Amino acid sequence: MKKILISIAGLLGIALSVSAQNPAPSRPQARPIALSGATIHVGNGQVIPNGIIVFDKGVITAVGDANTPTNGAQVIEVAGKHIYPGLISPASTVGLQEVASVRATLDFQEVGYLNPNIRALIAYNTDSEIIPTIRNNGILLTQAMPQGGVISGSSSVMQTDGWNWEDAVLKADDGIWLNWPGYFSRDFDFENFGVTLKKNERRQDGINVLTATFGDAKAYSELKKPATANLRFEAMKGLFDGSRCLYIRADYGKDIIEAVKFAKQMGVRKPVIVGGDDAARVVDFLKENNIPVILNPLHRLPNRQDEEVDRPYRLPSILHKAGVKVALSYAEEWWRTRNLPFLAGTAAGFGGLDKEEALKMITSNTAGIMGIDKQVGTLEKGKHATLVVSKGDLLDMRTNVVEQAYIQGRTINLDDKHKRLYNIYREKYGQEQTGK
Amino acid sequence: MRKLLLTALLAAGMIQAGRAQVTFPRNGVYDERPGLYAFTNATIIVDPQTTLENATLLIRNGRIEAVGKTVSLPSGAVVADLKGKRIYPALVDIESDYGMPAVQRAPNNFRAAPQYESARKGAYNWNQAIQSEADAGLLFKTNPAQSNELRRLGFGAVVTHHHDGIARGNSVFVTLADERENNVVIRNRVSAHYSFSKGSSGQAYPNSLMGSVALLRQTYFDADWYRKTIGKTEANLSLEAFNQLQNLPSVFEVSDKLGVLRADKIGDEFGIQYIIKGAGDEYQRIDEIKATGAALIVPLNFPQAYDVEDAWDADNVTLAELKHWEMAPANPSLLAKAGIPFALTSAGLKSRSEFWPNLRKTIDYGLTEQQALAALTTIPAKMLKIDNEVGSLKPGLLANFLITSDNLFSPENIILENWVRGAQYLYTDKNAPDLRGTYTLTIGDRSNLKLIIGGKPGKFDYQITADSARMTPKVSVNNDLISIQVQLDKQATGTTRLSGYREGNTFRGDGDLPDGKTVKWIATRTETAADPARPAADTARKAPVRYGKVIYPFVGMGNVEKPKAQTLLIRNATVWTNEKEGVLQNADVLVQNGKIAQVGRGLPAPAGARVLDGTGKHLTNGIIDEHSHIALFSINEGGQTSSAEVRMADVIDSDDINIYRQLAGGVTTSQLLHGSANSIGGQSAIVKLKWGASPQEMLLNGADGFIKFALGENVKQANWGDAVRIRFPQSRMGVEQVYYDHFTRAREYDNTWKAYNALNVKEKAKASPPRRDIELEALAEILNKKRFITCHSYVQSEINMLMKVADSLGFKVNTFTHILEGYKLADKMARHGAGGSSFADWWAYKMEVKDAIPYNAALMHKAGVTVSINSDDAEMARRLNQEAAKTVEYGGMTEEDAWKMVTLNPARLLHLDNRLGSIRAGKDADLVLWNNNPLSIYARPEKTIIDGAVYFDLQEEDRKRDQLQEERARLIQKMLSAKAGGAQTQKPVFRRQRMWHCEDVEGMMAEGEEKMEEKK
Repeated sequence: MKKILISIAGLLGIALSVSAQNPAPSRPQARPIALSGATIHVGNGQVIPNGIIVFDKGVITAVGDANTPTNGAQVIEVAGKHIYPGLISPASTVGLQEVASVRATLDFQEVGYLNPNIRALIAYNTDSEIIPTIRNNGILLTQAMPQGGVISGSSSVMQTDGWNWEDAVLKADDGIWLNWPGYFSRDFDFENFGVTLKKNERRQDGINVLTATFGDAKAYSELKKPATANLRFEAMKGLFDGSRCLYIRADYGKDIIEAVKFAKQMGVRKPVIVGGDDAARVVDFLKENNIPVILNPLHRLPNRQDEEVDRPYRLPSILHKAGVKVALSYAEEWWRTRNLPFLAGTAAGFGGLDKEEALKMITSNTAGIMGIDKQVGTLEKGKHATLVVSKGDLLDMRTNVVEQAYIQGRTINLDDKHKRLYNIYREKYGQEQTGK
Repeated sequence: MRKLLLTALLAAGMIQAGRAQVTFPRNGVYDERPGLYAFTNATIIVDPQTTLENATLLIRNGRIEAVGKTVSLPSGAVVADLKGKRIYPALVDIESDYGMPAVQRAPNNFRAAPQYESARKGAYNWNQAIQSEADAGLLFKTNPAQSNELRRLGFGAVVTHHHDGIARGNSVFVTLADERENNVVIRNRVSAHYSFSKGSSGQAYPNSLMGSVALLRQTYFDADWYRKTIGKTEANLSLEAFNQLQNLPSVFEVSDKLGVLRADKIGDEFGIQYIIKGAGDEYQRIDEIKATGAALIVPLNFPQAYDVEDAWDADNVTLAELKHWEMAPANPSLLAKAGIPFALTSAGLKSRSEFWPNLRKTIDYGLTEQQALAALTTIPAKMLKIDNEVGSLKPGLLANFLITSDNLFSPENIILENWVRGAQYLYTDKNAPDLRGTYTLTIGDRSNLKLIIGGKPGKFDYQITADSARMTPKVSVNNDLISIQVQLDKQATGTTRLSGYREGNTFRGDGDLPDGKTVKWIATRTETAADPARPAADTARKAPVRYGKVIYPFVGMGNVEKPKAQTLLIRNATVWTNEKEGVLQNADVLVQNGKIAQVGRGLPAPAGARVLDGTGKHLTNGIIDEHSHIALFSINEGGQTSSAEVRMADVIDSDDINIYRQLAGGVTTSQLLHGSANSIGGQSAIVKLKWGASPQEMLLNGADGFIKFALGENVKQANWGDAVRIRFPQSRMGVEQVYYDHFTRAREYDNTWKAYNALNVKEKAKASPPRRDIELEALAEILNKKRFITCHSYVQSEINMLMKVADSLGFKVNTFTHILEGYKLADKMARHGAGGSSFADWWAYKMEVKDAIPYNAALMHKAGVTVSINSDDAEMARRLNQEAAKTVEYGGMTEEDAWKMVTLNPARLLHLDNRLGSIRAGKDADLVLWNNNPLSIYARPEKTIIDGAVYFDLQEEDRKRDQLQEERARLIQKMLSAKAGGAQTQKPVFRRQRMWHCEDVEGMMAEGEEKMEEKK
């Protein structure tokens, strides 16, 4: 049975390669499916060896050991494989840009400084050729994030499968993005092409503008019926009732403290720090205030000459061990987002972090921060059947071979542009297919 | 007013010591004076070695006539008794820009079209940065404000030149007299000057440091050819001037310690020993600098302390900055200890007022006063062969000397007079009476007052007391006149104003009380202040300041002791041999003398061997990064379509922290490549990442020469903005012609030389020698299979093109790097014999990588291409093991083959597989001990070994980090006390180091920073 399935998939892949388009979005789950015999990584730290997971109509109906009843579901044998929750890539521009050097393909930044009403999901291109490639490494959800200005706009959580953005969206407008006016501003030196961070002389001005804006927005949110509607303030309402996060970009210790204190004073219910390069300096503050952190990609150099060489790799572990909730991102280079699982692997390898704990940083922790943890992030009964089956350890490059993926129970076609080109030239040279 | 008059008189040249004849007619009556002066009873420091007590200096007509204890005074001499005073030779600064026009740097206008040709009209050099015809003598104009400032510091003469360009022409030797230039210039064409900075030139080439080196080298060759073929070729006044300067001392200005080594290397090639003007950090590489044999000119510009009061802000100050702050004042004394001859200069100081405090600081740090004086007099004079004019007080030399109140180096000292070529510049009246003491003061009928004069002659301070109350009056003393303003009563407002004059120990006069009443006043000295005990010259010196140790390299995680090769036995490890034996379990590897001595099981440990337990660990070769841009000062020479002449070996930055970071990722060898700004880039440097070694020591000896080529969007400047659209080529069509054109010329060049070299001596004497062209020479090396191409490439069409160009000219393209569409023509590459060095999974960052796929490496490998995985990125380079492992995921490479992609295969591509890339007896001991399978995401290096020396050791890491923190803490505490003690501080600035990629271009990016950050 398995063989037949694979060869069908193979045929499908070849057939589609002719069209050179992304595979069509998947059809809704038609009948119950049970995946049997795999190691199930639940995403909350729990691991079920030789487990069974059953899902129907897009929702998980049972997860458990080998004795879990499958109740007439189609049973797919996946012995020896590993099942993971679909990985979540926060702070991403996947779908919002296609080719970095071609301006016409870039849709992640708007003009103006205060744009809370700008909505990233509108630009989310479900037909992006990038999307199938990240799915193939286990990433099934991304947060489409606007950039630029001071208040960049609103992000939305998107599924990596869908006919259009309405279809793909999991949570619309989950949060507003704020670039905190930092103590340091970047100063580019044309003499030596170096970047120095200098004291930001306009920091207080920026904070004053934000204080006024958030103050006005909060007051506006209390009006039953404003005389004049203000689109910006309408968008910000959710910050004060906890229905939206405030994602604050800040890296430097002082900025983190100041930004969090600001958010709390302004009545923002769910502030999240994004970036957090120096979060280890203020770890007690973050813990005491219960502030989660979405870290910059760990695959970066230390910011300072004298910093320990492995500081970025160890940072998730340092924060986790101090009790701070951490999520990992692959923000800047959207096309590299497929390496998100390897960030978790690196965090485990260099930080002495338990692998399941590292996994949480790209699944349940992220879901919890975004407020989508009732639907996704772990493989538990009642949640979406958004999951992947991998040949082996998903966090290791050698064994991250995604063989099946389901989004809300829909069977995902794992073809992508890279596989198509691979197959065309593999055949040209008469090479056997190996790897994923 | 007096000063003004004096200046006016001097400027008119009326009361100067007589010159025999002058060409200038004069308005008015001649005022030639004998200029015969004798200074008696002085302590005369004739030169740093010779001090005469109670001696006489006799000068006539601006020159020294006699100096000694028994000089007989000729009649008609003006005699000045200098009892208690000293006479020093005036200081000499040979690194001056006194009297030169300001250098206007070319504006960096990134929106404007680049200037590829010289904008200088005339029969000059093709490149504007070669200004060998710049004649400082012609440019020189006196500048009384500048000369006065220098004279006040004690300088009497300078050698000055125009600090503009790479070849800067000649200097002129002038005094600091405020006279007509004809009387100030002592000698023109004293020295020739060079630098790496193109200064005011707006011409695109060179826009990199290695381009500057290449331009200067080529100019030496051009000048030599010009000399031999003069009259038969073009007229070139710059080269003519360049040749004329070659018999003068040559001075090279550099901006850091590695620049000293770089400049000296150029000198060695052309048989010139440069005198090198350094930056004051030479102590950080003192052994190598001593070995150059160069004499130095060093500044006294010590960095200010940083403001480190805020603990978080202080994080942004690096250990290197902290240590340099502490050690910079020790630079001169460390040079002296090392026996390196050096002169000191006042150049480079933020303010000239720092000169004396900083000079005294170097003495506190261990420089002797004798050494300091020599570095400001005899040594600079000798360096530029002007010691027959200045630098000491020997008869016959210019009468350039200082009269001082004290030891010149004492903080108490005052330079009373500075005599320049026999003309007096009076700063403090040496005969001024010492007014210090306590005076009883009576004003009208008030007699409870005292006037106390303290301080020192030239800078008195004043107090008035009324019983126990103290007041600070405003006082001015002018010769014997005095004027005092004081508020005598705290309660009553109003100022009492006294005017008067001095008679011996008494001041007297009259004054106005606040109410307008006129009174008499008198002040009579009752006590003379005792002179504070002064330390005798060099004797009662305090102990030299203590400071930390030099580390190699001079950045955090540098070592006091450089790592040394050890005898190592790694036991019981999983050994990835990369040989036919494959992966050996429970194997031992013995390392001796920097080589792998033995591989086997149960090897006995030789005496003195350090045994490392490899149980549960994996031992592999060090990773070789085929495409790296770390440890370089610049990457792209994009000023021309071909820059084959530039060499990355000229710009290695051995202080780059990324060296250490990559050791921590298991990298031991890197090919440092030129960037991809032009079709023909520059010559690669292959280095071992020996942390702490000098650039020269890092270079892998005996490696073949490589050169970077590039294709695609970068060389046609596709993403550089609309202004940058004039350099040929602008399309892939043009790129092919660039290659044919250059190789055609290179072949002709090669043939020309071969024909010339085949001539016999007689024929050679008749023939004009061809010009050496270092660009065509490098290209001819490719044609002659002595240099090998690494070509930046993406799209299949142009990759195919370059292979066809190579085929038609009879050579092979060695390596296509990036080669993201290599999979589309892997069969052709295999046939041609080209290797591929690629990214594991990069794509989508620009149009030409739209079809890049992560299966590329596997597809090429299986088609028979030698494939490596490279970084092109300082961050990715430290986890190249992970990148290699991706070829297992994408395309199903076996683990052994995947591992070879970052070890043996790049060694092959670099023609180094006879030495590197596998674990076999006889190969270099470049090894990494991992905690895990090296391809695992959970793997990390525990030890990284190069040539048998351990350069990274995870076990030592915590201790080293602690040491770094302790050293930081010590220095921060020291800085805090410096600030508390009144030292000026600067705000910490967070320098985020440039991370170079091959796309990064100096001086030609069109869209500023965002563009800069763009990858590949």
